[in-house]
Amino acid sequence: MSHGSETARQQPRVDVHFDRSHRGYEPGDTVVVRYQVHELDPAHVRGIEQSLAWYTEGKGEEDLGVHFFSRLGERQARETVATGGHFSAPLPPSPLSYEGVIVKIRWCVRVRLFFPGGRDFVSEHEFDVGRIPAARMTSRASA
Amino acid sequence: MRLPRFFGKKRGHRRTGSQAWGSLGEGAFHAVVFCAGLVFGGLLISGVAVPEWRINHDFLPTVCRVVGTGLVRRTVEDPPGAFTATWRPSLRVRYAADGVDRETWSQSRPATGVSDRSVAVDRLSAWPIGTEVTGWYDPADPDTVVLERGYNWWMWLLALLLPGALLALGGSGLVRAIRRWGRSEEALARATPAPGLLASPRGHAPGHPGVPPCDDLVNSPGTVLRYRLPIESPDNWTLMGLGLFAVLWNAVLVVLAINAGFDLAWGRIDWLLLALIVPFLVVGVIGVVHFMRGLFLATAVGTTQLEVSDHPLLPGGRYEVLLAQGGAGVLRDLELTLELEEQATFRQGTDARTERLVVWSSPVATRQNVQLDPGSRYELRTSLTVPADAMHSFMSEHNAVRWRLAVRGTPARWPAFVRVFPVVVFPDSSRSLHREQTR
Repeated sequence: MSHGSETARQQPRVDVHFDRSHRGYEPGDTVVVRYQVHELDPAHVRGIEQSLAWYTEGKGEEDLGVHFFSRLGERQARETVATGGHFSAPLPPSPLSYEGVIVKIRWCVRVRLFFPGGRDFVSEHEFDVGRIPAARMTSRASA
Repeated sequence: MRLPRFFGKKRGHRRTGSQAWGSLGEGAFHAVVFCAGLVFGGLLISGVAVPEWRINHDFLPTVCRVVGTGLVRRTVEDPPGAFTATWRPSLRVRYAADGVDRETWSQSRPATGVSDRSVAVDRLSAWPIGTEVTGWYDPADPDTVVLERGYNWWMWLLALLLPGALLALGGSGLVRAIRRWGRSEEALARATPAPGLLASPRGHAPGHPGVPPCDDLVNSPGTVLRYRLPIESPDNWTLMGLGLFAVLWNAVLVVLAINAGFDLAWGRIDWLLLALIVPFLVVGVIGVVHFMRGLFLATAVGTTQLEVSDHPLLPGGRYEVLLAQGGAGVLRDLELTLELEEQATFRQGTDARTERLVVWSSPVATRQNVQLDPGSRYELRTSLTVPADAMHSFMSEHNAVRWRLAVRGTPARWPAFVRVFPVVVFPDSSRSLHREQTR
């Protein structure tokens, strides 16, 4: 049986633990992330990308800004799948998390696993930067 | 072999695969464009450039005696059912090539053809039977002889430009697709931050990712306060577009009218042309009237200026503002508001559309029955406070959160107007730093 068909049957799970249980950070804080990959044979991993990024959501096309990025090669990735991984990065002053009406800005941690044949699996975990209240349309603003 | 999946969940845990298909499709499209450029370029080079080059470099000179003249007729069916003919002079010449006397019709460029047969006949009179002219024959095929040399420069330009554009478009797209192949969106975003539709060419403010720079907003000093804010006037662009339309439309109308005038002067009446001119005239007049009305309204109210005591603004900050309104007459209402606008650009089919929505608005000052004096500007000095929990200004490729000061007025005799002055609100990093120090 080929590696590809084995990987196709597997549905990995990535558990991410932030150093703050409420996942709320301020600009300049350092985000410390630990993660565990479950239900995946380490032999099937070709690489891991771990990133700290913001993206936009809403009516417009999605924009993505990557603040922290690192890629683990095959050997390191297999060790990480077996024993767990971690990384940390200080947050920039902006952008802050924002819950607008047609524009939303979200921060997230992404762990992307790469398999043979170029396929990948990504696990995304949101957190908040800053404490901006959600935008609510007032009758005056909408008029 | 297993093919990548077309779709994956957008958020949370997901397998992805659509990127591979996307890159493959993009690469295939650009490969086709690149190949089309190669084929088109090859055809133009082999069919036009190489023969012309050979005539000018390889063909050998000889003396040709004209022994006969004729016309070459070329008939083209365009559009279907309608035939047009062009006439090209051709000479039958006798010459010596490789020590052998030969007689053949000379070759000439297709571009020398004319649609009027009598003109082509007149041209033949330049070569009476028995005259001797210089010719050049092909050493590889001595029966091929030409009586003129030179380059058809527009054809060379065409041969370079069209295939060159296809090759450049296809080649660059192919290289981009190859570079993207197998790379995640995070790796791509990290490697090449995309230049944005909305994003400023200078990116973001130093040290503040995603926050637009405010250099253009602080380069004009105020008369009373520190900075005079530039006005954002989409209405002016609309007015300029309307003016351009009116000018172009009426230019076409003038050309049609001149043609109709010449016809009338020659005693002919082209009813189709006259029927076309009437609706053109109506649209032209409506365009001019709309433009003049817009221009009058834009200039009738008088200029609006806004000055602030500091910039960029910070959440929780209090700033002095000076509103100066020029013009004459009475304004029933004059209102200054601080607003937060969200802007999203998205694709709808092949169009890129932008939606704007004011999600927060707070009045800064309101005045009623304002008397404007043509000799001096009306000034309103007040202050505004940015909410302490305000979102900072944000701008990315397709999305923006923008702060602005809006001046709304209702003149007694004219329609209401709105004038918008963008401002930039930075995140309150000073508060965060203070919190860090006291932790």
